[in-house]
Amino acid sequence: MTNIAAAACKRAPIFLVAAFALLPLAQPAQAQKAGGSITVGQELDIPGFDPLKVGVYDTSTFTAAAAIFDTLTTLDDKGEAAPKLAESWIHSDDYKSWTFKLRQGVKFHDGTPFNAQAFKENFDRQRDPANKCRCAFYITNVKEVLAPDEYTLVYNLTDPSVNLPAVISIQSQNNAVHSPTAWKTKGDDYNRNPVGTGPYILKSWTAGDRMVLEKNPNYWDKGRPYLDRIILKPLPDAQSRFASLQSGEVDIIWDDENDADNIMKAQKDSKLTVHTYKGSGAAVYAFNTKVAPFDDVRVRQALVMAIDRPKMSQAISNGLSRPATNPYGDGSWVRCKDDGALPYDVEKAKALLKDYGKPVDFKMLVTATPRGRVIGQVLQQFWKRAGANMEIDQVDQATIPSRAFSRQFQLTPWRIVDLADPDPQVYANFHTGSPLALSGFSDPELDRLLDHSRVTADTAARIEDYCAISRLINKEAIWFWAFQNTYYALSSARLKGFPKIYNGVIDVSTTWLE
Amino acid sequence: MLNFVVRRILAILPVLLAVSLLTFLIASLLPGDLAFVILGDQATPENVAALRHEMGLDQPLWWRYLSWLGHVLQGDLGRSFRTGQTVLQAISERIPVSLELMLMAEFIGLLIGVPLAIACAARAGGAFDRFMTGSAFAMLSMPSFLMAILLIYLFAVELHWLPATGYVPFTEAPLANLRFFVLPALTLALAEWPGIMRVLRSDMIATLQEDYIALAKAKGLKPSRILFVHALKPSSLTLVTVTGINIGRLLGGTLIVESIFALPGIGRLLVGAIYTRDLVILQGVVLLVACGFVIVNFIVDMLYAVLDPRIRHGHA
Repeated sequence: MTNIAAAACKRAPIFLVAAFALLPLAQPAQAQKAGGSITVGQELDIPGFDPLKVGVYDTSTFTAAAAIFDTLTTLDDKGEAAPKLAESWIHSDDYKSWTFKLRQGVKFHDGTPFNAQAFKENFDRQRDPANKCRCAFYITNVKEVLAPDEYTLVYNLTDPSVNLPAVISIQSQNNAVHSPTAWKTKGDDYNRNPVGTGPYILKSWTAGDRMVLEKNPNYWDKGRPYLDRIILKPLPDAQSRFASLQSGEVDIIWDDENDADNIMKAQKDSKLTVHTYKGSGAAVYAFNTKVAPFDDVRVRQALVMAIDRPKMSQAISNGLSRPATNPYGDGSWVRCKDDGALPYDVEKAKALLKDYGKPVDFKMLVTATPRGRVIGQVLQQFWKRAGANMEIDQVDQATIPSRAFSRQFQLTPWRIVDLADPDPQVYANFHTGSPLALSGFSDPELDRLLDHSRVTADTAARIEDYCAISRLINKEAIWFWAFQNTYYALSSARLKGFPKIYNGVIDVSTTWLE
Repeated sequence: MLNFVVRRILAILPVLLAVSLLTFLIASLLPGDLAFVILGDQATPENVAALRHEMGLDQPLWWRYLSWLGHVLQGDLGRSFRTGQTVLQAISERIPVSLELMLMAEFIGLLIGVPLAIACAARAGGAFDRFMTGSAFAMLSMPSFLMAILLIYLFAVELHWLPATGYVPFTEAPLANLRFFVLPALTLALAEWPGIMRVLRSDMIATLQEDYIALAKAKGLKPSRILFVHALKPSSLTLVTVTGINIGRLLGGTLIVESIFALPGIGRLLVGAIYTRDLVILQGVVLLVACGFVIVNFIVDMLYAVLDPRIRHGHA
């Protein structure tokens, strides 16, 4: 053990992680069958896997990445961090340093050995300013990654993180581990010829049509994977994607609440299974409190109180969307007795606007998609009833982040994604001075709560902090929450072993056919 | 004839140049900065300025156009900043799929439209003619995405005769390839035949009233011979135009149909490029489609000349 690791061990309580407890891989009591092949119907074309090129993985890329690559950690059925490429980990007292012990004898698909140096190279490549990677934004909290010996890895953080192993479990652009040999030898072509350590190897890829993944015969987790082949096909149209599932051309498809009719149809079909995962996080909206009329709390409160969420859910998704009153959601371990949600009260909203005294006219950004337009129109009606005039400003999806980051908006849609811990997002969204604090709102008490929650290990105390944060944000109405994140996959009833859809990832790498 | 061809080629060169300029302008004038899109959350003012300089975006528009055109003329349409693929590579992978789809759709459209037009013209104003004219109108008002979904539900989900989505290259499995194309091509064709039928029908009716047809009838020629030999060729001039324009229009239709049936063609490439703001791909595809349209029109002009000698001699 190196000095760093030894020092960390001395100072830190050890998280008991038994190497044999591969909980996420433990399936319900059913016999797994080896062999066969499945086809997955995805929403989007996969642009590629090299973080330097694609920047941020989308939902379709996640599915492929979960099969081709491994991450250091994974989440078990309870949503807690479990070993994958890392077998165990410890942290320093201040939670600013985490030391991982890596699994030995693992090889990338091209034969390159996986070790701490390979991981460090992955990390350094993303962080190198010369590479201008969009992916770098998500690891700005990591000061450095060190490889003190072949199988020890140290994360040194700029801020404390009590739950880092869970946070880095998703198969994202930052966490998927690539073979350094492969990206160095393939250059520009690496993006479409990815090499990982995962259970499946990329066999062939026809742009826009299909990606064929074959079982990795040398996978470190002996006995896995079960299926011989996974075929990923982009089927962009929701109706024909569902029809392909019904007619048996594909075995599992990605879906969302937009497509409520098909989800309900699938629920009644005995040949199909509906996989639902109520994640944490929510679809949210941020007021820019630096500009009128949202520099006045009465206006913000009035608009939030004028929204009838159940009616809105009915209008956009046949009632499937679950109203949200805080940023955490039912899938999070943060549950609040009192989250300070403002009640739906049109009369109160009218009174607040009347009290404000000036006409309330503003523009709201919405995505130029059918869903974005409907949401805009529904909100417009609610607010009109309370006496405020909203003009819909439709922009394409790619424009929203740049408008939001440059603060060129009055009211913008946003999303708090399903992460294993609320800290990374809540801290970034609400702490004074953060580039992601879109509201431009600053409050010493809010900062204190955010700082406290990220250095506290006691879960009960953290829940108290987070609920106090929710009460404060709801009272000031700087953001509001529309609907909780819910993820869907529809599959043939023959497909077994499909895990929870953490972070919206359709991970088929653990499945088998009955 | 050679003279005619040379004159026409000289005439389309300025058109192609204008097309290239418009394509370039469309992509350059779209709202949103390419540097912003590439950098995303990393877009600090310094980063944006550095990348803009690196990509030549801080140069004047005319300079950028000329340098882009220079590259295009050398066959270099650029590289997608998202996937790292060259535009030519991306297009050449997709174009066979779209061509097959368009040709099959046009073929099926003609296969339905031409016989119906002849049948209607033979008894113009009769019950069959009135019924078909009405049906053609109904078909024209049916949006292709609705038609596609109806066909999928009938032939794929209910009857299990044809696949709902998917594709295999012709070279790999010719029969399977055709099976995958039947529904998408039919979707497009069902929107094509009404136009074909109506145009040919009215031209045929006009031709059938000409004196030489009356003469042929008086000579006692068989009605089928009059219809197919004497009336069809002179009536098909407008049909050739319509078919040419249709092929251009079909390019637009493939955007929707390729997405619904998950065919990896040029339409899907274009839709994807729009969603992800992949302007390099967008520019390349729009340029290709526009040039394709110009070239198809050129071919139509040539066919005109073959069908009607007066045109190539400059009398018409």
